[in-house]
Amino acid sequence: MTLMPDPGRLSDVTETARLGRAESAHDFDPAADADSAVANAAASASVVLAGRAAIRGRRQWPLPKQADPDAPLLVVEGLTTHFTLGDSTVHAVDGVSFTLEDGEALGIAGESGCGKTTTALSLLRLLPANAEVVGGSVKLFGIDLCTKSEKALRRYRWREISIIFQGAMNALNPVKRVGDQVAEPIELRVGLSKADAARRAGELLELVGIPRSRGRAYPHELSGGMRQRAMIAMALACDPAIIIGDEPTTALDVMVQAQILELLEDLRAKLGLSLILITHDLSVLAETCDRVMVMYAGRVAEEGPVGRIYGTPRHPYTQMLLAAFPDVHSGRRDLGTIPGSPPDLRTPPPGCRFHPRCPAAMEVCRTDVPPEVRFDDRVRVACHLYPPGSDGVPVPLPRPAPVSAEAAVGPEAAP
Amino acid sequence: MTADTRARDGDELIRLEGLEVHFPIRGGLRDLVRRRPSGFVRAVDGIDLTIRRGEVLGLVGESGSGKTTTGRVIVKLTRPTGGRLLLDGEDVTGVWGGDALRRYRRRVQLIFQDPYETLNPKQTIHDFVAEPLEVQRIGNAAEREQRVLDAIDTAGLRPAADFAFRYPHELSGGQRQRVVIAGALVLDPAIVVADEPVSMLDVSIRTEILNLMLDLRRQRDLTYLFITHDLSVAWVIADRIAVMYLGKVMELGTAGEVIGDPRHPYTRALVSVMPTPEPPQPGLRARRVILAGETPDAAHIPTGCRFHPRCPLAEQAGIMARCRAEEPPLIDLGNGRASACWLAESGKPLPAVERRMGAVAPVGDAR
Amino acid sequence: MSAPLSVPALTPDAVRGARARLRARNARDMAGRFARRRDGVVAAVILLVFAVLALVPALFVGPLETVTTATGTPFEPPSAAHLFGTDQAGRDMLNLTVHGTRISMVIGLLATIMTILLGATIGITSGYIGGRPDQLLMRVTDFFLVLPTFVLAVVLAPIVLDLVGIDAEIFGIKATLMVIVIVIGLTSWAATARIIRSQTLSVKERMYVDRARVIGGGSGHIMRRHILPNVTNLIVANTVLTFAGAVFTETTLSFIGLGDPFAPSWGQLLNSAQTSGAPGLGAWWCIAPPAACVVIVILAFTLVGNALDDVLNPKAGVRR
Repeated sequence: MTLMPDPGRLSDVTETARLGRAESAHDFDPAADADSAVANAAASASVVLAGRAAIRGRRQWPLPKQADPDAPLLVVEGLTTHFTLGDSTVHAVDGVSFTLEDGEALGIAGESGCGKTTTALSLLRLLPANAEVVGGSVKLFGIDLCTKSEKALRRYRWREISIIFQGAMNALNPVKRVGDQVAEPIELRVGLSKADAARRAGELLELVGIPRSRGRAYPHELSGGMRQRAMIAMALACDPAIIIGDEPTTALDVMVQAQILELLEDLRAKLGLSLILITHDLSVLAETCDRVMVMYAGRVAEEGPVGRIYGTPRHPYTQMLLAAFPDVHSGRRDLGTIPGSPPDLRTPPPGCRFHPRCPAAMEVCRTDVPPEVRFDDRVRVACHLYPPGSDGVPVPLPRPAPVSAEAAVGPEAAP
Repeated sequence: MTADTRARDGDELIRLEGLEVHFPIRGGLRDLVRRRPSGFVRAVDGIDLTIRRGEVLGLVGESGSGKTTTGRVIVKLTRPTGGRLLLDGEDVTGVWGGDALRRYRRRVQLIFQDPYETLNPKQTIHDFVAEPLEVQRIGNAAEREQRVLDAIDTAGLRPAADFAFRYPHELSGGQRQRVVIAGALVLDPAIVVADEPVSMLDVSIRTEILNLMLDLRRQRDLTYLFITHDLSVAWVIADRIAVMYLGKVMELGTAGEVIGDPRHPYTRALVSVMPTPEPPQPGLRARRVILAGETPDAAHIPTGCRFHPRCPLAEQAGIMARCRAEEPPLIDLGNGRASACWLAESGKPLPAVERRMGAVAPVGDAR
Repeated sequence: MSAPLSVPALTPDAVRGARARLRARNARDMAGRFARRRDGVVAAVILLVFAVLALVPALFVGPLETVTTATGTPFEPPSAAHLFGTDQAGRDMLNLTVHGTRISMVIGLLATIMTILLGATIGITSGYIGGRPDQLLMRVTDFFLVLPTFVLAVVLAPIVLDLVGIDAEIFGIKATLMVIVIVIGLTSWAATARIIRSQTLSVKERMYVDRARVIGGGSGHIMRRHILPNVTNLIVANTVLTFAGAVFTETTLSFIGLGDPFAPSWGQLLNSAQTSGAPGLGAWWCIAPPAACVVIVILAFTLVGNALDDVLNPKAGVRR
């Protein structure tokens, strides 16, 4: 099923994306559908190009001077970030690559310590003093942000990429009114007058579902959900192309979480925003994202369209992680576990970082880093079970032993 | 006679009758003058609930539902302002000191949600687990040490002797939660109130802890009150689920019933927005019922049915007047099912929601 | 992080042994962390020197010189024979200053003990119990907080001395000096009580206190086992700084004449120098040594206090 949307109709693009997601949920046999896979790829490419033109055409500000109009929105290649703790180095992010197209939502999933937050912060180099991006490139419209000086980078922060930090709703300034806080970046970065900035702030608040009059409230007078909406309004202040949300719905009630996710969906459709959503909750990503990237111990385990990742996961970690989430609709009540714990990234295991916990580990996993292999259904996997040239059929994991209280975790080195 | 009082006698471990916890709102000049509080935060506003021996009862609700306060009343950290609490048929509402309280505490223990905060950073694991035995003056020194060892071992920290003399900061989140469980087990309680025991843990650790809790139930005839905001976790572990909203129970039934065939609009909305790790399906999104606004303040509870201002069905079903005027009790639907909704009275499933309420409409939260 | 402590089996003896080893290890760890603070270590050494001088002054400078046993002529400037010169009665200033160490430090120590005992007890109890008793105790604390030190000293001194007689001794300390101890204690405990109460309030809200209640712990148990250990760090840091304050207050009280003219504390020495006209005569050596000692000791206490505070209450390391 292919659609050639009218480049001027933004909503067609997002609708196509949604239908594309729905389509990819159907069964996909890589071997049999080779031809339709090629056709699909071609169709997706043209959809992407049309979408890109449409979204970029509607930008509030012109593209940056050095931008390449043909380049995808964001291309991250081999991003590597290290922390210095005392005299040891923590290899927090090790060779992470991904691409983000205009209007697309990418979910980055993984447990705590896998490097997803560090990856996001590395994009904007908002890292603490003891962290440093030591390798790779981050190309926004083809412009490599890693080669920019701190001063030059400020032009892109908030104007092109903005971020909602984890727990940010608790980081609002308690002595300033919410409306003023939303107006502040507009005044400073966009250069509007105070009155204009205030008006724009009011518009943004309405956009995120906060009545304009509530802009005069102080943060403590708002509920958690309202505060998170205010944070989203702040992130939108300078009309960025990309918003990064770091655990945007953790600590919120389930209903409020649904409201916020729906709000993000609406904003995507209305504004042509691209989203990077970071969370440990795989269930949340299933509904909101077009593509999902699963990270483990600083590396990408698997990445692809959401239907593929959830429907036919390949990487053992992805399979085990998915099995650990309760799934009401499938009637499955016994959850899986992943024995052991994530490695200490000061001394990561050689070869594949997951091999000590992997039920399908082979000899080669101990020594060689698995290469990233791309399959026709647009899924990337880094696992020796799927070497280059393999057919990509997902390998089911050996049935794990029943988990009981016996499989206790052993002593661990404290960080 | 409300639904839950029909639990089979003798099977009942804990019973709540009309439990109320109203916190007075003090402060302000007006109060000084009138010498009365200006209002009440009705955190728990009349609950009838039974916890049967050996079951896992899931108490589910969002923030402001009163579920944590209910748990605190049962472990006697908070005093109820009305209603009764019964343990094994005996009225223990007034028990607040002396031997009676000590005996009560031996039978009712608690697991908190935050393993980082529940452990005193200056206390070793051994002292944490041994403390209940010391305070309750159980056994002699050697017996106590044996029980401490057993408890740590049963909680899955092996070898127990290795863990005994560590400090909390030397352990991971999952290990700390096991320590908390050991500390709750060491008194050999009849019932453990677990308040969000896994919500702060990584997903893969959650399963271990949940499995541990289920194993312990089997081995030691434990009963659990499992308090959580996460309906999917409740579904995995609970036998029965009670859904709370603004201080009252809205629905009660087995886990499968409550989630598969909800008979209260609030429950149905919660179930419909439950995220699942499944590939997205067209139509699934349309079935989501996202309620507008947030749970109102427990100091300003709506009159009539406390859910009616947010209820997607109230207007459409044309019985808005009744929902506004009369508060529905927890109506018994037979076979242990109950729902506090006029629409459920007939015993038939709820009508479908015609108009999906959006979340972007300007929301006015009652703060 | 050192290797975990393990025991072969949990017998009461093994537990006792393990606890002792754990305590020793914690003490070593803390000493190690303190040793890394050079300013704290230097200051601690200085305090040690003064402590030794306070304990056995005669070992270094011989017995205390009195007017009758003065070894020099009045107002001699510093020389080889009298390193710090002599005072108005010909007494060697070095001798007087070293002996004065004991008086100043002892008064400071006693006053600190009184302050901390009163302040900590009231702070913890008031903070934990809360409600009406807390309100009442806090009003009492407020009263003592605003009490002016010197006015109280002036009023209290003659009353106490009248009661017990000028030459009486309380616990081996002369009444006149005891008055100073009492005055300092009465006016300092309130500030300590407030600080400790504040910390108690915050510790009281912790989940582990709730848990201690649920297992059946009573107020006494909780205050001893949970509140106190988490307040101790604050108390220790506060104690050291209180000591510094006590020395300073004693110096001031003696300087304005409320001390004992026969006990040569540093403040008293300054008072003597003042009243005997030393400044007018240009005899700076009568003023400088005791003044310098006060400054050095207070500075040393402050540095040690700050270093201890950092060691005991570590703040998060990396700025985010």
